[in-house]
Amino acid sequence: MVGLGTASLPRASTGSSRYAQLFGRAGSVVKLVLPFVFVLAIWQASALAFGLSNYLYPRPALVLRTFGVLVAHGILLSYTETSMWRWFVGVGVGTAVAIPVALAFSFYRPLARMMFPLINFFTAIVELAWIPLFVLWFGYGFKVIVLSIGYVTFFPVLANTMSGIGQIPKVSVQAAQTLGANRLQVALHVLLPGSLPGTVTGVRTGAGYGFRSLIGAEMIAAQSGLGYMIFESRANQLTQRTVAGMITIGVLWLLVDRLYLRSIERATVERWGLVRKAR
Amino acid sequence: MNTSERPKASLRPSTFARRAVLRPGLVPVAVVLGMWALLPSLDHLPVYKLPHLAQVASELWHLAVTGAIFNALGDSLSRLAIAFVIGATLGVAVGVAVALSRALNDFLMPLIAFFNAIAGIAWIPLAIVWFGFGSGPVLFVIANNVFFIVLYNTLLGAERIPPVMYDAVRTLGGDRRRTIVREVLVPGAMVGVLGGLRTGLAFAWRALVAVEMIAASNGLGFMSIQASRVFDGSTVVSVILVIGTVWVLMDRLLLRPVEALTVRRWGMLGGADL
Repeated sequence: MVGLGTASLPRASTGSSRYAQLFGRAGSVVKLVLPFVFVLAIWQASALAFGLSNYLYPRPALVLRTFGVLVAHGILLSYTETSMWRWFVGVGVGTAVAIPVALAFSFYRPLARMMFPLINFFTAIVELAWIPLFVLWFGYGFKVIVLSIGYVTFFPVLANTMSGIGQIPKVSVQAAQTLGANRLQVALHVLLPGSLPGTVTGVRTGAGYGFRSLIGAEMIAAQSGLGYMIFESRANQLTQRTVAGMITIGVLWLLVDRLYLRSIERATVERWGLVRKAR
Repeated sequence: MNTSERPKASLRPSTFARRAVLRPGLVPVAVVLGMWALLPSLDHLPVYKLPHLAQVASELWHLAVTGAIFNALGDSLSRLAIAFVIGATLGVAVGVAVALSRALNDFLMPLIAFFNAIAGIAWIPLAIVWFGFGSGPVLFVIANNVFFIVLYNTLLGAERIPPVMYDAVRTLGGDRRRTIVREVLVPGAMVGVLGGLRTGLAFAWRALVAVEMIAASNGLGFMSIQASRVFDGSTVVSVILVIGTVWVLMDRLLLRPVEALTVRRWGMLGGADL
């Protein structure tokens, strides 16, 4: 028994690795898709069983058809584009403001200590709580949404960039200084690249917050975009569009996070990371 | 002034001065308040866009005296508490049940990741369809949000338990249902659970404000958006200040003590984020 077991082990493992080579990708796709098929089946069955109206509980088939309609009319694409552009600009603005602040704070520690209570307080104010005030300032639309996303991106980028800078060995800074680098040069050639892994982690976190904030802000203060679509469709009794929009939002975020943000983070951490290992 | 006197003075500042006046962190706060006090008069900003410091102070006083702000705060916080308890309880319970079975775990993980990706806020329109305007959608959206965050983090925490722990308990004769849950799963996943609870509460608080703006007829969020509609800038700014203060208090009085306690009890550092 024991001999047979050990003898068969290598064969089994080569078999499974060949299976992995041939079907690994397909196998994991099936594993990934199967749960969703299951949910769709339950959804359809429960819709039939309870006989609720499409307004209260739109059927999957109807939602699928609605996807077709929304794509055919170009609504889905155009709203997705609008939303993603707002999100991109917002995350960009938040990051662009946070990095110089983080550099300044790391250079002048007393400044950082001085500013932290104020920054902590602003972090505590939910970004969406600012929206009514932003609306008073700018009316509905682009500026309000970008500000709200930029606001919520700023704090994690600041915190993570600073902790990234904190992980740079003093020796690196001293080496540059010994070679005659001034403060600006140290900032540009040592601190900035050294802080990148932290910054990227912060951007990924901030981008996640920003995405939620995008949807919320679009429901409150926009006339276009995915958040507007899911909210307005409800008022027009087109719940199937709301559900289609929700699915789009979920898929969109998973794609952006898994395909772009995660791989950028991994690449940066591996290229510039000093202490941490890529997850 | 006489420079020889200065070190002596700075050697023994009074406790009050050290605690309150000389704290460098108060300088920027004072600067911001000062700028705020001066800016509207310099720039001829309309009052509804940037109400004067004094106006906001008197508005806050008014809201406090009439009790309006406490009523709104009470509505918001009780919703937060109820929804958080529902979401967190279900999240931990389902998480522990699912983590017992590797097959079920593998099956549900993609679904949970997907529902986690649908921002909690995105459920607002559907919640309004189901529950109408009022407390219903607020409770649903927040409980939903908390549930998926806590569930996801519980499962992540359970995934990080080294398999050898299970084997060890089994070898020593522990049975699947009781001993494994009590001795391996719960303490092992605790890092993830607590991280999930903390993240969940933060997201719940953010969602609360948004949902109340959109779907409620009372609470802080509603108060703020309603004021914005009638160009009442002082109330909007007052609510912003209250929201910030409440979260600082929750963080200091609730989250940090719990974190400190658990770090000591289970020797853990941080939790899994989203």
